[in-house]
Amino acid sequence: MSIKEESQPEGVGGTSAGSEAPTLFLRKATGLVRGWSVRDAIIYACLSTNIITLGIYEFSFNSFIPKGQLLTAVLISGVWVSFLVIAYTGLIVTIPRAGGDYVWQSRILGGPVGFVFATTGWWFILWLWAPIYGTVLNVELFQPVLWTIGAKGAATYFGTHNGTMTICVITIALAGYFVSLGMGGYAKLQKWCFYAGMVGFATVVVLLLAFSHGSFVNSVNLEAHKYFGISNAFGSTTAAAGKIGYAAPAFGLNAFGASMLLVPMLMFYLLWPNWGSTLYGEVRGASDFKRVFTGMFAGLWLTVLLSVIFLLLMLKTFGWSFYNDANAVYWAGKATIPIWPYPMMLAAWLVHNSAFQVILLLVMSLWFFGWVGTLFLSSTRVIFAAAFDRVLPDAAAAVSEKRKVPMYSLYLMLLPAVALSAVYSYWVKFATYTLDATLVIAVTYLISAFAVVILPWRKPELWAASAASKFKLFGIPIVPVAGLATMALVIYNLVEWLKNSAFGVNNKGSLVFMAILYVLSIVVYVAARAIRKHQGIDLGLINKEIPVE
Amino acid sequence: MRIFFATDIHGSEVCWRKFLNSAAFYKADLVILGGDLTGKVLVPIVVGPGYFEVTLSGQTHHLETEEEVRNIESQIRNRGFYPTRISAEELAALNEEDGSIDKRFTTEMIHTLDRWLDMADTKLNAGDIPCFLNGGNDDTFEIDHVIESAPHISFTEGKIVELDGFYLASMGYTNPTPWNTFREESEEDLAVRIEHLASQVPDMGVTIFNFHAPPYNTGLDDAPALDENLRPKHGGAVMEPVGSKAVRDAIVTHQPMLSLHGHIHESKGVRKMGRTLAMNPGSVYTDGVLQGAVIDLNEKKKKVTRYILVNG
Repeated sequence: MSIKEESQPEGVGGTSAGSEAPTLFLRKATGLVRGWSVRDAIIYACLSTNIITLGIYEFSFNSFIPKGQLLTAVLISGVWVSFLVIAYTGLIVTIPRAGGDYVWQSRILGGPVGFVFATTGWWFILWLWAPIYGTVLNVELFQPVLWTIGAKGAATYFGTHNGTMTICVITIALAGYFVSLGMGGYAKLQKWCFYAGMVGFATVVVLLLAFSHGSFVNSVNLEAHKYFGISNAFGSTTAAAGKIGYAAPAFGLNAFGASMLLVPMLMFYLLWPNWGSTLYGEVRGASDFKRVFTGMFAGLWLTVLLSVIFLLLMLKTFGWSFYNDANAVYWAGKATIPIWPYPMMLAAWLVHNSAFQVILLLVMSLWFFGWVGTLFLSSTRVIFAAAFDRVLPDAAAAVSEKRKVPMYSLYLMLLPAVALSAVYSYWVKFATYTLDATLVIAVTYLISAFAVVILPWRKPELWAASAASKFKLFGIPIVPVAGLATMALVIYNLVEWLKNSAFGVNNKGSLVFMAILYVLSIVVYVAARAIRKHQGIDLGLINKEIPVE
Repeated sequence: MRIFFATDIHGSEVCWRKFLNSAAFYKADLVILGGDLTGKVLVPIVVGPGYFEVTLSGQTHHLETEEEVRNIESQIRNRGFYPTRISAEELAALNEEDGSIDKRFTTEMIHTLDRWLDMADTKLNAGDIPCFLNGGNDDTFEIDHVIESAPHISFTEGKIVELDGFYLASMGYTNPTPWNTFREESEEDLAVRIEHLASQVPDMGVTIFNFHAPPYNTGLDDAPALDENLRPKHGGAVMEPVGSKAVRDAIVTHQPMLSLHGHIHESKGVRKMGRTLAMNPGSVYTDGVLQGAVIDLNEKKKKVTRYILVNG
């Protein structure tokens, strides 16, 4: 029944370990769990900062910052986001609650702040992520597979407005279905998707290492002709880039200033290592900080490593100019290859066998299927938490008796997502607001980072009891400092997003769209407060602390 | 009538103090603590010649003054742990086999409970504010007679208590857990225990179940899914229902007005089950925050008129 905290910090009863005297004793009691597997946490962090579905897609916009170096920007972003990992580790080990930002902000900054920034960042903006997920599914699976199997009509359909809408609805239905299934079954699927997806990635690496640039040029010309009837696809792509005046920068680790401008773009995929981190167990020690940190940090840097490998292989086999030219002409609407030049499809072309190509595309799509199920997961949590706090009607947290499905919360996620998908599908300009989806969550992070900075002063006893307060550098606690660095990261990105038109954020429609989300959230909170007051319920009581003495 | 219900404070002294102040704070007519009062952890403070040494959260503190020791004892108590001053020789002699650890644990637990009950006498105005406590699965049976002997607190375990026209039926037992705790039994035995209790209730329309175990698969009983080594599965991302089927069946069958639960700290929530409003305010006692439910009852309408879950 006695253990040493250092030897078994999660606090499961056992025999005293080692020759040193025990530092605590546990009796048999509920909830004394061991720490979760760090390997699992790495997998989820890596899937959240998804190199295939988000990273490669966002790399294709490199031409919008013509002098920026992706390699440099990826490394800068990795280092900077590492501070976010430290800041969030501090929050997770200090207030280890599944509600995440909603709970932290409500507890440290007050209920209204928590509600506004959690609903906008973890619920409303996910409506926009739905069509973005759909777009990724289209360009990375539907389009390449349908063209490869010769289903030209279907492929063309999915390239139309109606086709985009259809695929958005498929994505939303899929994500909704996974929510209704619960995470139990999906988590297993997720893990297998990750392992199989890594096998797919390794296959691509082997292909790109085994074949020369010359072979790649021949393959592109051969397969593009086979599927699209295009002659000299490689040469015509390069020529098209020249016609639009685009010249890819030489590959390297230089151009720091220009590469900094790519950072706000790369946040689209690297800002999410903290997406699923929670901590359970009530006897917490310093090792919990290391475990939580390691899960997110290693997941983030695994993604960075995969990104670096990917970029180096683009340089070696695709040729840096062709890789960037193909993306630049696609986004300029001047491409000879009529679909997005998905690098995995181009790599698969190195093997002149359609069946192999389809199989590889299907395997790589597991990066999508292991990721799509979490689209609405955070939304469910926020809706339930807000309903239990009586801000939303009680029905929002109702679960159907028969099937155990959170029907109303699903409606609150799915229906607006379908509506926004329609706007996304039929109003082309709206699709350029993609980075709004990152910006709104980044604002939520900013508020949480602020919360962790002021935590030692705002909740001194909670902070003193936290393992996070024990980690210091030159006598200064590193977590609040990391919170400042995170604030700097988000503020830098916000300034660039709002200042630089290359990101598609700082136009009237985009700003109005985001303003609507914040106004909607405030209106819901103010209305709830008034309605509950009329019912004799004071929402102000929810987080008011009972005096101790 | 307004009641304040909290649960699962697990030895946290700051939460106990808040509980005692909750009636005044929320203007409640009575307060109920739904079990699992006692702590899970004993922290030895080694007494040496002219110094004290204690390890907390992996950090060893070398203390020299009585004030420093009292300060750290207060920190330990606020986390729900029991500090115990002990010599290095005594510490080395403690072992599981001869029961000396259990004995020490029980001593500190009872000592703390005595102190808490003394505090309650003052804070609850010597019985002016009715206060009801019952056991939870993590509470050893030694606490029962200690609470029962408190002059101004009612120990409700296994009893029906009348509260100004309402009836409170309390039970701290739960369905089996992986930790083989003190008050747990099979679903079949639990059903018998509940039926025995329910059969004594004059009117279910004005009855409050105060059952520590939440009803199965209601969203009030979701805990991290654990593997055979008690590690959360899939990075803690997967929750699974672990509540009691017997409790669920009893609620569905008897349809009390209100059903109060605890036990699963992560599963704060409210669920309507037929006419019954079931709730679990959850627990974050390790943060020093007292989660609870403020509930207004209307005797004439035989219903809950208002409720709010709070983080006090």
